Amino acid sequence: MATSAEPEALPPLLAVEGMSVGYGRQLALEDVSLHVGPGEAVALIGPNGAGKSTLLKAILGLLPLTDGRVKVLGRRPVDAREHVGYVQQADTLDPEFPVSVVQVVLMGRYRAVGWFRRPGAADRRQAMEALAEVGLADRARDRFGTLSGGQRQRVLLARAIAQRAQLLLLDEPFNGLDATTSDILIEVLARLRADGVGVVMSTHDLAVAHLTCGEACVLNRRRVAYGPIGEAITPGTLAEAYGSRAVLLASGATVVTTNG
Amino acid sequence: MVRLLLDPFGDAYMRRALVEILVLSGLAGVVSVYVLLRRLAFVGDALTHTIFPGIAIAFVVGQSLFVGALLAGLASAVLLTVATRIRRIDHDAALGVLVGAFFSLGVVVVSTQSSYTSDLTALLFGRILTVDTAEIIETTAIAVAVLIVLTLVHKEVVLRSFDPIAAEAMGYRVFLLDLLVNAVVALVVVAGVRAVGTVLVIALLVVPGAIARLVSERIGPMLVASVAAAGLCGYLGLVASYEASLNHGVRLGSGSTVVVALTIAFILTGGAAALLRRRGAGTAAPGSAVP
Repeated sequence: MATSAEPEALPPLLAVEGMSVGYGRQLALEDVSLHVGPGEAVALIGPNGAGKSTLLKAILGLLPLTDGRVKVLGRRPVDAREHVGYVQQADTLDPEFPVSVVQVVLMGRYRAVGWFRRPGAADRRQAMEALAEVGLADRARDRFGTLSGGQRQRVLLARAIAQRAQLLLLDEPFNGLDATTSDILIEVLARLRADGVGVVMSTHDLAVAHLTCGEACVLNRRRVAYGPIGEAITPGTLAEAYGSRAVLLASGATVVTTNG
Repeated sequence: MVRLLLDPFGDAYMRRALVEILVLSGLAGVVSVYVLLRRLAFVGDALTHTIFPGIAIAFVVGQSLFVGALLAGLASAVLLTVATRIRRIDHDAALGVLVGAFFSLGVVVVSTQSSYTSDLTALLFGRILTVDTAEIIETTAIAVAVLIVLTLVHKEVVLRSFDPIAAEAMGYRVFLLDLLVNAVVALVVVAGVRAVGTVLVIALLVVPGAIARLVSERIGPMLVASVAAAGLCGYLGLVASYEASLNHGVRLGSGSTVVVALTIAFILTGGAAALLRRRGAGTAAPGSAVP
């Protein structure tokens, strides 16, 4: 259903082949391959330092590869950024910054608006629709920093919606969120996938991963397992990725690490 | 009272000083908001030092000090932008190295001269009462150029200030945006040096924006408040220094009096904002102005 509108010959949204990324001499990621087609979603699972954020940044073209290649929409990552939405953790942003909620969402329209021009009525309408989808239309005029952590995360998601990206990258979007926000995130991701958007999401939360993604890539600097989520996430692959500290609770629960 | 506020401007040199300070206020008031958003107060401070060798060299070779400052300002804006991107070195340390290098170069050049004191005193503290029409035109040209540039890249600079990761992820050349804003700050420093001197121009770059942030939570109204604060303090500073010098026998430097006015305005606004917050706790009403 997701691909009904797509012609057959289109390249995959994301193709990562044998990618290695290093900081200095140390390889942060080694020989990782990954494919995302329209409407597909991949959960990146792994401990802190496993290279999940590194992988997302490499897909954005923000880090040089030491080996392998990345193609986004068949192009180099830097040439496809306009079509890639990136949702980081909202708590990295300054809550005192004098910017309103709707202004943050409008930032998603900037590339489409272009240099030297201001967002127009159509951009504002799209921003408001995106805000309505994440349940924050009534907070549009409030300052971004006055919202709760979960609400701020929803604003960043709305920004990615307003961008109308074809590939959405999310870096730990569910960390420490309230139930309302988690529900909305899950709903929105399902809607976007139905519309053909590809998703790559790093998370520690296996329940959320099962609810939002069809596939999983278990990472610990290298690819431990990759495939349909039910097959990729097993006690064995998790133990391999997280080490002996990992405990897999009964089906679909979360990874508990005893030691950071 | 009206006489007190208007009398000083009977003389042509005071009228020129007023025009210069008002143009400068408009310029610094606007840029000050971006300095606040981008947290560039220290970069501004660094630039007030790095233009010094340009002025010193221009002085020694007998060229226009303005052009010397302009060239050194733009060159150091480029180096500052590059330096703050060196990952292994802390921003502050990188700026410190540059400031030390540039300033010592200026001192070395100046120390070869014997007759520099009065000119360089003017450089440090400004000489707004002796600006001529050509200098006002230079300041105005800088102001117009800077305002056009900032109008064109406003939304990108705000995005980069608020969320540099998203700006980069969206494909913006953050380096170029940084370079542009640093160059703009350098231009304000160059333009402000004549009026208030290198030491005090940093006040013009920082205080109006800080006052504006106390008054509003939105960038549009902040720009208006910042320009208004800078203009009002510029005007009142001139009046106060004139009145004190002429009628009370106290010689107040005009540039420094402007800065004192700005500081008082900041303290008063800060106090009023704190009072309002305490009284209005719970009913906090964000401004209703259009963004």
